[in-house]
Amino acid sequence: MNMPLTTLWVVPLLGAAVCALLGARAKIGALIFSMIFFGAASMVAWISHATPGLSVLNEIGPVWAYGISYRLSADSLSLGLILLTAFLNLICVAASWELKVSAGYWACFMALASALTGVFLARDLFFFYVFWEATLIPMFFIIGLWGSSNRMHAAVKFFLFTFSGSVLMLLALLALVSAYHRVTGIWTWDLALLDASTLGAAAPLVFWGLVLGFAVKIPMFPLHTWLPDAHTEAPAAGSVMLAGVMLKMGVYGLLRIALPLFPSLSYDALPILGGLAAFSTIYGALCAMAQTDLKRMIAYSSIAHLGFCLLGVLSRTSQGLTGGTLQLVNHGLTTGALFLLVGFLYERAHKRGLSDFGDLASRAPYLAFFFGFSTLASIGLPGLNGFVGEFMSLSGALSVLPILAFAGVLGVTLAAAYALPAFQAVFWAPAGPDSVSAKVTDLDRRERAVLWVLCGLMLWIGLAPKPWLAWFEPAIRGLVR
Amino acid sequence: MNLTAVVWGVTGTLFFFGLAMVTLRRQLLAMLLGIELMLAAVNVSLVHHAGLFNDAEALAVVALVIAVAAAEAVVGLSLILRVRRSGHGADASTLTELQG
Amino acid sequence: MTPAQVPLAAWLLYAAPVTAILFGFFVMRRVKPEWTHLPILVSCMIVTASAFWLAADVYTGHSFDLNLFRWAAAGTFGVDFGLRVDGPGVAVLAMVSFVGSLIHLYAAGYMKGDPGFSRFFLVFHLFFLAMIGLLTANNYVQLYLFWELVGVASYLLVGFWFHKESARKAALKAFMTNRVGDFGLLLAVLLIVLQFKVTHFHLLYLKAASGATFDLLPLIGLCLVWAACAKSAQFPLYFWLPDAMEGPTPTSALMHAATMVTAGVFLLVRSWPLISLVEGLPHLVAWIGGITALGAAIIAGTKKDLKRILAYSTVSHLGLMMLALGLDQVGVALFHLIVHGFFKAALFLCAGNIAHALHQPTANVDDVGGLQKSMRLTYLSFVLAALSLAGVFPFGGFFSKDAILDAAWHHGGPLAALGMLVAAGSAFYIFRMLFLTFYGARPEQKQAPHAHEAEPILGIPVLFLALGAALAGLLKEPIQRFVVIGMRGLPSGLPELNLVLNLPGEPLLPHFNWVVADLGTLMVALGAFAAWRLTMSDPGFDWRWRGGFAESMFESDFGYKIFVDWLVRCVSWIARFTGRVLDKAWWDGLIESTNDIVRGAGAALASSAQGRVNDYLWWMVAGTALLLGKVLR
Repeated sequence: MNMPLTTLWVVPLLGAAVCALLGARAKIGALIFSMIFFGAASMVAWISHATPGLSVLNEIGPVWAYGISYRLSADSLSLGLILLTAFLNLICVAASWELKVSAGYWACFMALASALTGVFLARDLFFFYVFWEATLIPMFFIIGLWGSSNRMHAAVKFFLFTFSGSVLMLLALLALVSAYHRVTGIWTWDLALLDASTLGAAAPLVFWGLVLGFAVKIPMFPLHTWLPDAHTEAPAAGSVMLAGVMLKMGVYGLLRIALPLFPSLSYDALPILGGLAAFSTIYGALCAMAQTDLKRMIAYSSIAHLGFCLLGVLSRTSQGLTGGTLQLVNHGLTTGALFLLVGFLYERAHKRGLSDFGDLASRAPYLAFFFGFSTLASIGLPGLNGFVGEFMSLSGALSVLPILAFAGVLGVTLAAAYALPAFQAVFWAPAGPDSVSAKVTDLDRRERAVLWVLCGLMLWIGLAPKPWLAWFEPAIRGLVR
Repeated sequence: MNLTAVVWGVTGTLFFFGLAMVTLRRQLLAMLLGIELMLAAVNVSLVHHAGLFNDAEALAVVALVIAVAAAEAVVGLSLILRVRRSGHGADASTLTELQG
Repeated sequence: MTPAQVPLAAWLLYAAPVTAILFGFFVMRRVKPEWTHLPILVSCMIVTASAFWLAADVYTGHSFDLNLFRWAAAGTFGVDFGLRVDGPGVAVLAMVSFVGSLIHLYAAGYMKGDPGFSRFFLVFHLFFLAMIGLLTANNYVQLYLFWELVGVASYLLVGFWFHKESARKAALKAFMTNRVGDFGLLLAVLLIVLQFKVTHFHLLYLKAASGATFDLLPLIGLCLVWAACAKSAQFPLYFWLPDAMEGPTPTSALMHAATMVTAGVFLLVRSWPLISLVEGLPHLVAWIGGITALGAAIIAGTKKDLKRILAYSTVSHLGLMMLALGLDQVGVALFHLIVHGFFKAALFLCAGNIAHALHQPTANVDDVGGLQKSMRLTYLSFVLAALSLAGVFPFGGFFSKDAILDAAWHHGGPLAALGMLVAAGSAFYIFRMLFLTFYGARPEQKQAPHAHEAEPILGIPVLFLALGAALAGLLKEPIQRFVVIGMRGLPSGLPELNLVLNLPGEPLLPHFNWVVADLGTLMVALGAFAAWRLTMSDPGFDWRWRGGFAESMFESDFGYKIFVDWLVRCVSWIARFTGRVLDKAWWDGLIESTNDIVRGAGAALASSAQGRVNDYLWWMVAGTALLLGKVLR
């Protein structure tokens, strides 16, 4: 097979079709296909890693009207994020195994994985945009059909909010492509060919259009308000994919499109964007402190964590970029684990409030252990994954604009102020009269296995981050200023 | 008066009759007939111009339009039947489900 | 030096605790939870033996500092993890492992039968491991790792009895305050990376000694001092430590004596070559230490809970260490740190034994009196440790405290007076505690006839610690040598460490000074006499100042706690305002209102759409005509 990259996004799509056809036994299909997908992704990553001269895989298809061409490429950044997608997809399937859901649920997850993979592979901006929007559809159904009580509102809000962002992005892309055509006479959507200098005076407008489109997805303050609602209402596995991979699309877009195309503009925008990112870390933490719903709290903490990624990435230093990129993976693992755990709680007790539980450390020690472990990773305990990303991102930011790093360090400090009280309220405090703790049984083998894998990875990245950082380094080397 | 002018006149008239039927009549069946009439008028015009410009592609389009017209008749008729059975009669003015 | 040449003992320092914890977690906890402590006690023995082995190595000139593996790297940025076994490190390490092991042994008896027994031991040992790591780290990032691990382990231990609200609150308070301090350390580490490009202690010392000026150094130093203030419970961040005694007593003992609070002082010892370069910063450290020492000594004299008095005493003694450091007396600070470890561990375990004997979770000084007769062994241990703490000749504390007083005396001015007052204050609170608990009993106290001596596993380790505290004065020479090895280097030491000789800071301990010793002893006698007057001389005199302004002042540490609570309330108010009003109601409300705008506009337009198909067809025709017109024109 000499189309390895196409295979990567077609396999899960095929899986989606098979799931839809299988009906009641769809979850078996989902499991098999997500395993194949993960296997394929690992294999491609391994081949690209182990074969000299193949660090970037390319596939170039035919060119159609207006220069639209089927053009895929995978460097270590893409492959890393695809591996994350495949891994979390597998985790989601395993974690939702006992849910009583229709075939559509499984098909949606496979379709989502396919679209996400496409986003990370496409180097033709037209296809990039198509995949980008295609991710919305399965996620819309995942939230709207299998979410909790207020799901329709959340799904529509999610769709409209992120779609508005994408439309801005589309306008910016169209401007870019047509400007290139006007100047050179060539229609192309090829990211490698397009040149922002053809835009002339319109360049800042296009840059900010792109950035706004990506910032909604990240989400960066003040464009974040769709996230708490979407996370809160989505089913656990939906939240995992949303936080674990979909939010990463925004940062990926910045890394892949906005920064390489507009190197000087993005540098000039550092005070504004970096300031917003640094502010996000504090603002997200403060908002998380005020929440009474576990999922909302974790959602706000995501805003803070993505702020660290952005700080690193925008600093354009090598430690900031690698740290920020690794933080994408870290956040996927840690927040993914936390969302899964809250999901397990919700499956058992149908409640998510901080005050609905109590004394779970005695009733469900495994749950408490994993939740505590993930919480510590999330607040950046050294030795676990979160610290590596935060430390390197902040170190990068410090060397460019010290005030940003100060704010970021304050954000690190504040992280404990929401995470630990929440942990205490749920696991340590005595169960109140209205508590539903009695319904909470401890994790079973399957659930524990899923979390061992996640927590093991957190520890691994935390103790020996060097190979992980080295993995991302070649892809971001070109971005270092 | 050459043939083209005749074709233009006839098909134009037919087209506008069809249009008038669709827009002015309230009877669903009549409206469907109007649509078919418009399609037929365009088709006649197409056939003539295909001959005029010696263009085989236009003839292919004619076949396509016939197919579309047939398909439309099928869908339209079954929809009308469905509406009648649901007890709304076949009067378009009573069907205001699309009201905002 | 290569990893192959690292002595086995250094590997065992890490390997034994890690193995014991993993084995305990994965095997013992399932198979036989009540035996979890066995592998851990074995690990303690191995660690202690290794620590002494390494100490002997260092003593004979075999210090080493070695990078083991590269932890993280990107571009020119790189952080290695390694081992640094040098004089100050092993001196503290030997004390920590010895005292810590005895406390482990004590805990095996004290925690017996607790439902969380195995959990306790695992976290307890993790706490121990974290401190070992902190003492042998060779760069700031590695130190930060263990520094935080110490914090987390202490959080879990203080909150060990999480069913108690006070324990939960204390755990959170401890962790959050430490986190506020970590703000300083994290920032300091980041700034060090920015300024020096390396985090390795040794390379930093070299750079600092190079004589170049570093713009960021004052900020780095300030951040480091701030971090140390939180960890070592110095003013203004001292308030978490007294509450942290909500954990089981062995936790308090380990935390106060060996593993947690000494980390801050140790951080400053490690950073001294950087801090001492900053004009005025050592002076600041000295003043923070002096003020904290005196303030905490006074507050300790107002408290009633045994463990709380000891906690304030720890704060006071840490203040003394800071004072010594600030006066550039690194050797003295380390000496006092080590001696303090012995007597404080002994005193805490005595307090634990008393509470244990009374079948109470914690004991107050006004609960019982006259325990002297019923608890002979505990009494003996307590007296030895208390005399050492007060600084009575020839007990251990005398020598270390005398050295500090001497340093302050030579510095002169207010700091000298502060030092003397602290000496009197310490004697006051510890003798007050001794008299009230073991003598009497006073009229308001119970006679506690049921009180009995604890079983040997609780008594023996305490006695050992107390003997250690009494004899710690003998450690003066060895500790001095260790510090000299660390800071001056010795010819036989390994070249890696000999590159820098003469680090700033005075490693040598001062010679005996009759004036200071006499004055100090006089102050101790004064304090002891005041304690006797207050508690013993007149049974009718109510020493408790119950009710009224004085008691409320005592409760709130003279108002400081109220201020801290107010700060915390402010922050949580800001958070609630941001989260609920600013974000949810205003900003998200504004965004959601676009929904209403669209709906309103839709409703207005809807009036033109009555649902009649023919109308729509007219629109369609009009639209098509318009388009056609546009195209054909």
